[in-house]
Amino acid sequence: MDDRAEMLGPEKAGRETAFSRPFADTAPAVAPAVGRRRGRGWMERSEVRSLYLLAAFLVAAYALPFVIGIRYGTVRWDAEWLGYLGTVVLSGFLQGGVYAMFAVGLTMIFGVMRIINAAHGEWVMMGAYLTWAAFFYLGVDPLLSLVFTLPIAFVFGMVVQKLLLNAVVGQPELTGLLVTFGLGLTMIYVAELIFTTDFRTIPYAPHSVQITDSIAVSQNKLISFTMALAISVGVYFLLKLTRIGKAIRATALNAEVAMVCGVNVGLIYLITTGIAASLAVAGGALVSIQFGFNPETGIIYTLQAFTIIILGGRGHYLGALIGGFMLAVLESLVSLMIPNGTAMVELAAYGLLIAVLLIRPGGLMGVKEG
Amino acid sequence: MMPDANGIALEARDLRKAFGGVHAVDGCSFAVPRGKICGLIGPNGSGKTTTFNLLTGLAQPDGGQVLHDGVDIAGLKPYRIFRRGITRTFQITRVFREMTVLENMLSVTGLAVPDRVARERAGELIALVNLTHLRGEYGGRLSYGQQKLLEFARALMTDPDVILLDEPAAGVNRTLLQQLLEQIHRLQETGKTILIVEHDMNVIMNHCERIFVMDYGVKIAEGPPSEIQGNERVIEAYFGRRQSGVVHAG
Ligand SMILES: Nc1ncnc2c1ncn2[C@@H]1O[C@H](COP(=O)(O)OP(=O)(O)O)[C@@H](O)[C@H]1O
Ligand SMILES: [Mg+2]
Repeated sequence: MDDRAEMLGPEKAGRETAFSRPFADTAPAVAPAVGRRRGRGWMERSEVRSLYLLAAFLVAAYALPFVIGIRYGTVRWDAEWLGYLGTVVLSGFLQGGVYAMFAVGLTMIFGVMRIINAAHGEWVMMGAYLTWAAFFYLGVDPLLSLVFTLPIAFVFGMVVQKLLLNAVVGQPELTGLLVTFGLGLTMIYVAELIFTTDFRTIPYAPHSVQITDSIAVSQNKLISFTMALAISVGVYFLLKLTRIGKAIRATALNAEVAMVCGVNVGLIYLITTGIAASLAVAGGALVSIQFGFNPETGIIYTLQAFTIIILGGRGHYLGALIGGFMLAVLESLVSLMIPNGTAMVELAAYGLLIAVLLIRPGGLMGVKEG
Repeated sequence: MMPDANGIALEARDLRKAFGGVHAVDGCSFAVPRGKICGLIGPNGSGKTTTFNLLTGLAQPDGGQVLHDGVDIAGLKPYRIFRRGITRTFQITRVFREMTVLENMLSVTGLAVPDRVARERAGELIALVNLTHLRGEYGGRLSYGQQKLLEFARALMTDPDVILLDEPAAGVNRTLLQQLLEQIHRLQETGKTILIVEHDMNVIMNHCERIFVMDYGVKIAEGPPSEIQGNERVIEAYFGRRQSGVVHAG
């Protein structure tokens, strides 16, 4: 009956927490199944359970704005309002793709180096400014500028790893958090020096696309979503199929073993940080064509990325993707239904973060810790 | 230059490593002859695992040399030592639990071969340790003994020159152990050099040609099994001194 316990063997060695499941598939069936997987359905019981938990949590989180909205009379249930609802949920979903993409970078850094990158939002902000500068000074199309902003971001990431992160790999988590927090502040000041604190916008494909009679989203949202999806899928296959990807996953699972399996772990740290910075900068480019930004905008993106990876389980690739969509849809519900909702969006992220930490510190999709 | 076929494959010279005040390895020297199965034994805490870590680059020695084919490799990065053909397994198995058996094998890098060849080789090695029926299974789902076999197979992916096994028999049932020992002998026949840390004296005495005994971080004896079995210092290290120490203390 209990063959599971037997199969796990006597030694459940070392760091067996959500941390050690980076890039593990939520459902094993997603893995390239070489040979046939044996019995037991396509998911483990614990994974099914965490999906139930996730669903219950989502229902609760999504019901709350409705409850508040009904109380304040912002929910109307007429055809016009339902059209708003559809529009808002759809654009939230599209926004989720972009969130997910930059959160994946955060989760990769955590998975591989066990460093919580508190400057992640500033990397996103940097991406927005790079895109803006290219557009404003050189007249380069915001999507086209990815061709050179991504390599710049990759090199930037490697430099940051070499000069800063490498010194704190293996140190207590707080050390890395503080160092990256310092980096984030520095980047904010530098951005204020160069670009001032004025809000910037990039006018780009602002027209609406009518999806149904009552549901419409802007072109730039659709474009951003498509780009984000393409990049995220690309990174997923990079991790899953290529040798570099396998080496990254091996390092995340156990750096020491990766070392004696011939992985140049130092190089993997550099590449991982490079990829993460590229994802953040791509995220910055994609938000810059939708929203205004200034040097301090990054803080909210850091918060969102934190919330997403806590939801998804730190170091968990698919978890970060799912978490991105969950947060963005919740934000859109809040902004529609709660009076003065746009200002409450940040509160939604904070609230979600705290709720998950209280209910399950390892993340909803992660393995239960402790 | 071709390494001497009868020469020394791997040599530790006056190796030292301290953790704070604990001198885990304290001037240890031994030479593993090429193409032999050798044993490294000693009481718990005598510094065997630390020695393995020094040989494979996972720990930086405070002093001394590690010679592979006569070249000093002490302090090199683990992946460089790995690429010279020195691989190892761990005392407590360390397979990648979230990767399938096949992915575990393919996670080994430094193979200068196309993917197709790597897959073929992985398949052959998985078959060698009788895990073919489990190759799509996650590493964490295997029994402890199966994980040891997987780790062993993974260590062979690059056709290494020297293989270091840290307590391969611990926690492995007799059938699997028998398979493992057969494989070890087969490797030796193909000219590999093997160094085994093991507490199971049957394994050590019946399968090793030469044995090094450590105590308190230094080598206290060396020789073929017949000599080691009767060696007084070894018996003392294992049974005598600690007991008499207790007696004196009391
Ligand atoms: N990373 C470490 N930090 C501190 N002490 C260590 C570390 N690794 C080993 N030691 C100490 O070094 C000594 C030798 O340990 P070890 O090499 O594991 O011995 P063995 O493998 O022979 O049992 C022990 O006293 C152990 O506590
Ligand atoms: Mg040991």
